[in-house]
Amino acid sequence: MIRPEEIKMSADESGKWGMVIDQDICTGCQACVAACAMENNISFVGEKDSGYGRSMHWIRIERFWEGEYPEVKMTPNQPMLCQQCGSATCEPVCPAFATVHSQAEQLNLQVYNRCVGTRYCANNCPYQVRSFNWRDYERPEPLSNQLNPDVTVRRRGVMEKCTFCIQRIHKAQDKAKSEGREVLDGEFTTACAQACPANAITFGRVDDPESLVSQLAKKRGHGIKHLEELGTLPNVTYFKGG
Amino acid sequence: MADNISGNENSGSVSLLAVFPDLGPAADAIEKLRDLGLSDDQMNVISGIPATEAMLGRPNQWTNVPRLAAGGAVLGFFGGAFLTFVSPFLYPVPIQVGTQGIVPGPPTVVVLFELTMLGMLLSTFLGVFLDSYFPNYRPMEYVKEISDGKIAVFFICPGENCEKFTKAMTALGAEKVEAAEVFHL
Amino acid sequence: MADHKNHAGHAEEHFREKHLMLDPLPRGQMNDMVMESMHTTSWKFWVVFAILSAIVGYGLFYSWGTMIAEGLGIAGVNRPSYWGIFLVNTVFWIGISHAGTFISAILRVFKAEFRRPFTRAAELMTTFGLVQAGFSVFMHMGRVWLAYWLMPYANQRMLWPNLHSPLTWDLLAITTYLLSSTMYLFLPLIPDLAMARDRSTGWRKTFYKTLALGFRGTEGEWAHLRNAMNIFAFAIIPVMFSVHTIVSWDFAAATRPGWNSSIFGPYFVVGALHSGMGAVIMVLAVVRATMKHMKYFIRPEHFDAIAKLMLIISMAWAYFFFNDYMVQWYGGDKWTHQLLHFHEAGPLGWMWFAMLIFNIAIPWAVLWNQKWRSTPWIVFIVGFFINIGMWFERYIIVPISLSINRMPFTWRMYEPGVEIPLGIGTLAFFILLYMGASKLIPLIPVWEVEEGQMAHELKKFGRETVVSVSELE
Repeated sequence: MIRPEEIKMSADESGKWGMVIDQDICTGCQACVAACAMENNISFVGEKDSGYGRSMHWIRIERFWEGEYPEVKMTPNQPMLCQQCGSATCEPVCPAFATVHSQAEQLNLQVYNRCVGTRYCANNCPYQVRSFNWRDYERPEPLSNQLNPDVTVRRRGVMEKCTFCIQRIHKAQDKAKSEGREVLDGEFTTACAQACPANAITFGRVDDPESLVSQLAKKRGHGIKHLEELGTLPNVTYFKGG
Repeated sequence: MADNISGNENSGSVSLLAVFPDLGPAADAIEKLRDLGLSDDQMNVISGIPATEAMLGRPNQWTNVPRLAAGGAVLGFFGGAFLTFVSPFLYPVPIQVGTQGIVPGPPTVVVLFELTMLGMLLSTFLGVFLDSYFPNYRPMEYVKEISDGKIAVFFICPGENCEKFTKAMTALGAEKVEAAEVFHL
Repeated sequence: MADHKNHAGHAEEHFREKHLMLDPLPRGQMNDMVMESMHTTSWKFWVVFAILSAIVGYGLFYSWGTMIAEGLGIAGVNRPSYWGIFLVNTVFWIGISHAGTFISAILRVFKAEFRRPFTRAAELMTTFGLVQAGFSVFMHMGRVWLAYWLMPYANQRMLWPNLHSPLTWDLLAITTYLLSSTMYLFLPLIPDLAMARDRSTGWRKTFYKTLALGFRGTEGEWAHLRNAMNIFAFAIIPVMFSVHTIVSWDFAAATRPGWNSSIFGPYFVVGALHSGMGAVIMVLAVVRATMKHMKYFIRPEHFDAIAKLMLIISMAWAYFFFNDYMVQWYGGDKWTHQLLHFHEAGPLGWMWFAMLIFNIAIPWAVLWNQKWRSTPWIVFIVGFFINIGMWFERYIIVPISLSINRMPFTWRMYEPGVEIPLGIGTLAFFILLYMGASKLIPLIPVWEVEEGQMAHELKKFGRETVVSVSELE
């Protein structure tokens, strides 16, 4: 197994993006889910398919009952999205190299064009955050005007997942480059973080100690990373009970 | 090689086919033919079961199949080596998956094994085709009784005195001795 | 050979009745019997053939076409059961295919004489089973029209498959296995095709003539063939083991509770042989009952021999199953415990218990008795149950185990959709191919039977008469 300190970035790597989610202030309003679907052209699968475990949201709010009736309590809301693992289990199992590690952004990429739909990556994702295009879902007429031109529209038979809004990362990088500067912290953020009314989601450079995510992580302390014991090196940190 | 002899190319000689009911008489016949002055590459045995050289008292058959198999295995191994050691670097930027190396470690063994075996078995199969001149639909000397379990000794009698060969074969129990008919198989 | 026909002692008579190898017929007569078995076709054959064709047409081609056009939504796969019955059937068919190689390669290498009349019948199962495995795995792909992307081929953009993925190893291994088992089916068939060529007319003549490649049976041809078959018999054994081991790695290499087990390789290989032997015995029982003259070639002794192997394999399967279960239970983390509980006490717990009854209890209860295991219809039923049990085993490993993962929020049951007609379609297609082949190629390797009959004789030790075999090769 590879330990975190063994993952080093080479000099030409431009950054390591990460996310901090504060479960204590998450209200479970699902604004992030809606914003993500708008931003990333996610299909609406309808009630029936959604009820059968085929919802395609790249981020979902998980909540559980804890304890036995009548002594039940609700766990805090837990937004679950692709953890952009440093050592992703989904990557090596794809026979077509359709999901690969990006050295530049330290993200876990999904190449829709290359995907042939073996769905092995989804099986092997311990977070179960990958969604598959089970059908060509309809997008009734006015809705097609809402499509984000920066994001590919996926067809049936293709796997997809949260990209940390890589189109926004690239847009910000391009802008910064044309203005001859570095990307500023907070200059842009992902759709889910942008939409969160409680500011429970913060996105930024985890390799920059001055960034808001790093500051928050320091301030809150005791952040947990889900299923860290599997050695997946997730890039999303959760806080709860602080 | 012995299985390619043909009487027709040799204008002065006649090719004969002596059909025997069993292995023993066929082996005796071969012995007799040798005594009558035929060399081993002037005769051949056509049978419906795999009679070994030892049973018939014949020199060992040369076969390229094992050598071709070994060659194919080497080719397959290099094919596998190309896939594992070269193909990842043909990408403009070598692709990293998980935290595994560009050349996978243990999986290399799997790929090398499968392609070695594939190369070996394909070339073994092709080896049978090459060595036996398959497919070959030209007319050949044959009698249909062979697939009924008869053993046919096929030989070329030089010159005119085929009589003595025929007599010798009949004496050893040949069911029939006749000029090898050329069949469209 | 002809010797012991003369003094028809009681013991000899008994042995002849029992053993095909001691009951020789002239080669020509055996040829005629095999040819007649191919030519004799009753109207029932065509009725079954037509029904199966209809099932294949609807279940396989129409349903698959619809699924390609509409997407996998019409199947039952979902999150978290991304794989479903497609992979169950893939593993199942690859398992069926293993018996053919086991019989025709391992038994050939170890010179088990009882194999002789049914090596081809078993090898045919390998090839046709692999065809169904191929269908099943291609069906499961989201974009099957791009399946060629998984093949390593030179292309302008220099895109190569990912050799880190167990699925890529699988593709290489199954391709190797399909090609080599087809070649291994074909090589010993050449002399029999030549035999059929010599005794056919019309379109069959053209068919056999083309396939027999001009084989006459010269010393050279036999030597090359013998050499090649020898190489195949040895080399195909590790290939067979590797194929099902790699299939097991599709599961074992994954980071999932219940799957990530180091014993899955041999466990899967034994499981494959378990269902494969069950299928062989079913096929032989049907062939013996329905095809002309097959009662001469396939006798109770053969069912007895295969059933003994089935019993041993059933014990080996039980051993590996328990080994896997024990270690998962003992050292398993909370997710594994959850999964084991779900297997036994979940909504499909009956399947888990049925698996154990069908795979262990039934074979153990029946096959110990020589009389029972020599009776075709009894072993047919046992083979049938074993195959159901082994299908359940794969169902438990694939969709049921996929229902439980480390994210309880996504737990959900799997309900098959179009997988059912597709699965039935592969089964019908397998039977259809087999029926077609039984009318087109000699199902009995006559030359191998004759060779065996030459090698067998009765020998007297004191007052006892025993069977003795000479090594001809």
